[in-house]
Amino acid sequence: MNEKRSFPVLVIVFALILSACGGGVQTQPVTSPEEPGKPAATQPPPPPGTPVVLRIGWAGSPDTLNPGTAVLSEAYTIFALVYDTIYEYQLDGTYKLDVAESADVSDDGLTWTFKIREGIAFHDGQPMTANDVAFSINLYKNNGDYVYLNAYTANFDTVEATDDNTVVVTLTDPVPNMDYLLSYLYIVPEHIWKDYAEAPASTEFENEEMIGTGPFKMVEYRQNEFVHLAANKDHFENPPKIDEVVFQTFESQDVLVQSLKSGQVDMITEMPATAVETLKNDPNVQVVTGAPFAPTVSDIIFNQADPDKCPTDVGGLCTGHPALRDRNVRLALAHATDKQKLIDVVLLGFGSPGLTLIPDGLGHWYNDSLVDYEYDVAKANQILDDAGYLDTDGDGIRQMPDGSQPLNFRVHWPSDSIDAPRLAELLSEMWSQVGVETELQAVDPDALTAECCPAFDFDIILWGWGSDPDPNLLLAVHTTDEIPNGYNETGYSNPVMDDLYVQQGIELDTEKRREIVWEMQRIAFEDVVYVIPYYEQAIQAFRVDRFKGWILDQDKVELSDVSSLVVIEPVE
Amino acid sequence: MKRYRYLLKKIGWSISTILFVLVLNFFLFRVLPGDPARAGIHDPRLKKDAIEALRVRFGLDKPVINCFETLNPIKLGDCGVNPLDTQFFIYLRNLTQGELGISYHTNRPVADILVERLWNTILLIGAGQVLSIIVGILLGVFAAWKARTPIDYGALITGLVAWSLPTFWLGIILLFWGSNNGFPIGGKATPGTSSMPFLYQAGDIARHMILPTLTYTIVYMGEYLLVMRSSLLDVLAEDYILTAKAKGLNTFQILKDHALKNAMLPIVTIIAINLGFTVAGAIQIEAVFSWPGLGGAIFESVGRRDFPVLQGAFLLIAVSVIAANLIADLTYSYLDPRVQSE
Repeated sequence: MNEKRSFPVLVIVFALILSACGGGVQTQPVTSPEEPGKPAATQPPPPPGTPVVLRIGWAGSPDTLNPGTAVLSEAYTIFALVYDTIYEYQLDGTYKLDVAESADVSDDGLTWTFKIREGIAFHDGQPMTANDVAFSINLYKNNGDYVYLNAYTANFDTVEATDDNTVVVTLTDPVPNMDYLLSYLYIVPEHIWKDYAEAPASTEFENEEMIGTGPFKMVEYRQNEFVHLAANKDHFENPPKIDEVVFQTFESQDVLVQSLKSGQVDMITEMPATAVETLKNDPNVQVVTGAPFAPTVSDIIFNQADPDKCPTDVGGLCTGHPALRDRNVRLALAHATDKQKLIDVVLLGFGSPGLTLIPDGLGHWYNDSLVDYEYDVAKANQILDDAGYLDTDGDGIRQMPDGSQPLNFRVHWPSDSIDAPRLAELLSEMWSQVGVETELQAVDPDALTAECCPAFDFDIILWGWGSDPDPNLLLAVHTTDEIPNGYNETGYSNPVMDDLYVQQGIELDTEKRREIVWEMQRIAFEDVVYVIPYYEQAIQAFRVDRFKGWILDQDKVELSDVSSLVVIEPVE
Repeated sequence: MKRYRYLLKKIGWSISTILFVLVLNFFLFRVLPGDPARAGIHDPRLKKDAIEALRVRFGLDKPVINCFETLNPIKLGDCGVNPLDTQFFIYLRNLTQGELGISYHTNRPVADILVERLWNTILLIGAGQVLSIIVGILLGVFAAWKARTPIDYGALITGLVAWSLPTFWLGIILLFWGSNNGFPIGGKATPGTSSMPFLYQAGDIARHMILPTLTYTIVYMGEYLLVMRSSLLDVLAEDYILTAKAKGLNTFQILKDHALKNAMLPIVTIIAINLGFTVAGAIQIEAVFSWPGLGGAIFESVGRRDFPVLQGAFLLIAVSVIAANLIADLTYSYLDPRVQSE
């Protein structure tokens, strides 16, 4: 009995070893064509007829292909390639008409008429008409739980296709940024989406076929693995020169760099600043840096919420340090902040000094006439001395003018931030030179949201915003109306600012609106609502031995933008 | 009869442990701070009604359980609500139908996500386990057989070093080495190959598996080697082995017929425990090699606070660990009948 049983066990063990070895042997021929040790450039050119595939590496993946429920920027990158819109946002910060030939607005600004191009077809061959355009906008408008896109239709009253080529949008109030609002309202086919137009189907629909009209069509999507697109060679405006694009997901940026160096991908959309030096020495790789397509702002949030006007009905506590409600203190902290050092240490130089919440990546909306507070510790000390914040007990920490408490601030940041700990330590050191003490602490992001706003149960938070191409949302953060909503994170309240915000929201003349937007930035800057340490730059890289023709001369850097992907071609 | 009772007892224990985990798993994710409906979305575009709609979509608008509206912060609620209209009982009812909820992050059913990821993990960790068991046991037996010779010391040091290597570090080293030698360093398959013939696809996946499997094998091989060696050395010191030698049996016969089976008990234990955790995947390995498995899913979901996915994954892991332990218990009673009487 014993012997019989043990024999098969051994046989199985050996069989497994054999099969394991077999597996190893089988894989050998597959790996050998890669020519170990040699760069991909030395590979023989593929035989004619092989599709030209651009391989992009990124450290993310779309959260969903349903435009209504998508949150991550990776999803929007794919939408921009597969879908068309009435207006398209370009790398130079302007908009151009996409599927519409012309746009007319009535004198009262309430009726917009768009002529839709003829002869556009969806990827499945069905023609795209004004009905599809109107259907799509209504889809976003009617679904209140579409996280982002619904908000763009907030002022839309009716959207109708009056004939096959005409779409008429009427508004409840005039809007100054119709091009921006429409640049996210992707045109989807009515013949597919009509079954998913209403909740809950509208949010449950996974949209894996993803039929659109854009320059690229969906071939295959595997979440957290890859997005495989093929060129739409029949696109009415931008037929790509390459045949296919693959976005492959890697879990970390360091692996991305390695896969670019070894030639497993042709371009990477993100990389750590620490890897820039090594990649610059690689003759096959070019690194590009600059303002990102979707700008990000880091902010130092000072709690200025007034305890007398605390939004207690929505959980307001307003426990902020009283000194931070004094502009003199905030101004002194601004003078005591060496932004260039922050950029050099935290971002390894890949950033530009910040002024207000409106970043330089926003093109002409960015007020570049403002001159930053110079880094001057003596001046900062002088301001605090003059304002009566003196170190009366000689412990190196200044006291409130009435001596009630020392200038000791709690500084919190989200625990998932990579840069914030370094930023916090540098700030702590810089501010200690003007007699300000800080208590540094990383806080779980949810807990931070809870203490932030509208609770205002903090002194200073290091956080940030991702920005739309239009300044409207980041300007709203300065308004009194947004205090109870929790989007005004400082508690700053200024009637002049509130008025200007309303004005810029109805000013139809772009130049006049720009002036108002600049004025708002000037006020926010003068009042030192925030200290903005820096605007972070995008760092991307591509292999020069694989594709050429990347768009590199624009204000913004985004290699995976549709404008690059439709013009690049393989290196001979 | 005794064996039957032993079986029943073990199965009963397993079932009640699973029930306990079911309940614990639910409340664990309800006492965590923060508002899951807004997880990861700190954006002025998200208006109040949109947040409310998200709560409805994910079932968060209902009270957690009778008398408790929410558990963090603790907010008391109506005790008289229909229990079937509380999150807890909806969770239980959905479980009986195999539903694990909807992912906050992807809006997809959690069960679909987990099944997709589970097969990838079983493939990778299964291959790694089989290889490390075989290599580890063979080397362990060989080392014990050649005890106190340079071969033994060599194997011992190899095992110790392999087992103490940090998995992610070994993975990164192999990744750098592999990327310069033409091995794929991320993902499960080359994108765009899903229309290729099956054999081509299998070869492609195998190629992608080489580096992560190698990492896994090296680390776990060390563990099996060490346990097998010491366990076999113990057995070889027993009197009945001396008797076998006195009977004139050769070393191979002694090992095969007398020593191995008794020395297998500790190995069975760690194999069973490791198999249970196989489902969890090797989180570090999957993260380093961008392998789309369960470990990777857990890694990503923690970062995004995707509680339904975490809840489902924890449940799956708990059930498989419990099942693996049950199997280990049953195997014990077979390998060593004395176990039943204890």
